[in-house]
Amino acid sequence: MRKLSRRDFLGMSIKTGAATMFAGMFAPTATSLMGLGGVAHASTKKITPFTFAVLTDAHLYDISDHKFDAILEKAVSDVNSIQPRPDFVLYGGDLGQSGKKEELVKGKRILDKLKMPYKIILGEHDYYLDMGKAWRGLFGDEHWSFDHKGTHIIGMNSILVNDFWSLRKLTPLERMGYMEELECHQCGLWGVQEKQLDWLEKDVKKLSPDMPILIMTHSPLWDYYPRWNFQTVDAPEIRQILRKFEKVMAIHGHVHQVVYNSIGNISSAGLLSTSWPWPYPPVDLPYPNIKMNRVDPGDFEDGLGSHKIDLSSNFDGVVNYRAFSDLLPDNVKRGIKL
Amino acid sequence: MKNIHEFATFKNASSAACAVVVLVAMGSVNAKTPPTSAELEDQKNMLMSAVKRGDDLWHSAKLGSNGLACGNCHPDGSATNPHTWPKYQSNLGKVGTLREMINWCISVPLVGTPLALDSDEMIAMEAYTMYTHRGVAIAPAKDEQHGGTPVVSGPGYPNAHGGNR
Ligand code: HEC
Ligand SMILES: [Fe+2]
Ligand SMILES: [Fe+2]
Repeated sequence: MRKLSRRDFLGMSIKTGAATMFAGMFAPTATSLMGLGGVAHASTKKITPFTFAVLTDAHLYDISDHKFDAILEKAVSDVNSIQPRPDFVLYGGDLGQSGKKEELVKGKRILDKLKMPYKIILGEHDYYLDMGKAWRGLFGDEHWSFDHKGTHIIGMNSILVNDFWSLRKLTPLERMGYMEELECHQCGLWGVQEKQLDWLEKDVKKLSPDMPILIMTHSPLWDYYPRWNFQTVDAPEIRQILRKFEKVMAIHGHVHQVVYNSIGNISSAGLLSTSWPWPYPPVDLPYPNIKMNRVDPGDFEDGLGSHKIDLSSNFDGVVNYRAFSDLLPDNVKRGIKL
Repeated sequence: MKNIHEFATFKNASSAACAVVVLVAMGSVNAKTPPTSAELEDQKNMLMSAVKRGDDLWHSAKLGSNGLACGNCHPDGSATNPHTWPKYQSNLGKVGTLREMINWCISVPLVGTPLALDSDEMIAMEAYTMYTHRGVAIAPAKDEQHGGTPVVSGPGYPNAHGGNR
């Protein structure tokens, strides 16, 4: 019921399978065309400025001395070297490649070298072998929130698809194999689903509208390119729940690339991976100037990186992409506003 | 007489005219029998089984030694730009072909053994990525080297299942 009423309220069509497998549904809207920082948020509560770091999409294999291990190690050292030291680190999902416990254990061992606390969310590559069992054993809850220096920070599991495996009688390994393909044609669109929507609604219920909100999901909270699950199917519901806030910053992994969008009160940035970069899908970017350049496949670090995000007392955010190569156009190098 | 009769069944006037010209030039009435629709269907199926085999290889770690598959980095065959070859490619250091670049990617990102350029596997790899780009205009050297934006160009290939194959 909730889904219907929210969608009706937003005047959005319900997505039904392949017919809506196209992107750009929400982008750019009139509001988003107001440009970076165009949304009014002057009255957002003052916060104590702080810096945090973000890493995502390591895709570790259960193979010793794999090149991706070294890249994640490098990203961890890079974050440890940032001065002044970031308060904490957020990790955006796809720590493993095939959902194996060994991959996640290796990932945790590397992430534990961070000199600051970190919080982590799930990506599809962590989940579909055992439906998150090993991951939860290592990292705890699939969704969480905490307050830090006046900002409310939320992490959610956005990669839940409907059961496509039971009817096909797939083994867990086969199910994982399907999900490992970005262009999986049988897996369907994913989202956070009803239970987490209920949780989110309760989580923010008592917060006042001037509370600054930061939310991290694995996939973008807007329809970018559904064919590759560059979307979250219940993003309209999430945006509706968060609508009361003056300003919401969203960050996401999964896309392995620089991308930006702004919808209503939410601005959103996609992040670099530490495994491989992805080409841009064949849709118009809502903000065409915010992107990365073409990558040299002969340079294994090209297209990869870590991130530092600075928040000012007015809750203005700047994402600094710390690319491991000369990858970024100058405007992105200078940092993009969230 | 049989051949003449078949010409009359050509729907396309210009190809019929063309065939007549060839006939006249050769001074013969022995024209080739056009394939039946069943034969055409067979031929299409053979192509599609090469595409399917290519899709399997594309998403398989077997071509390499580090667990990676082409599909990790090239979903839907994206960023391989089959319509731009042959062209100068800086990783090859010369004007090369799509097949040479496929082998370069097997050797370097996948740390595997290159395929024979005329092997069935190589033809299948090529068939897959060409098929995902059907309808895209041929444009040799269109893309800049490592500058500009990498994009997906083709409509893709809707396979029936996922990886681990
Ligand atoms: C670790 C990531 C990665 C893997 C795995 C990988 N590639 Fe690539 N490949 C790239 C990148 C990055 C480029 C450069 C894309 C660009 O120029 O925009 C590229 C370029 C190419 C190109 C040339 C595109 C052009 O226009 O110059 C071809 C063809 C290609 N790859 C085929 C393959 C094949 C076949 C495989 C599997 C054997 C493979 N790749 C595996 C990352 C990868
Ligand atoms: Fe990923
Ligand atoms: Fe992902």
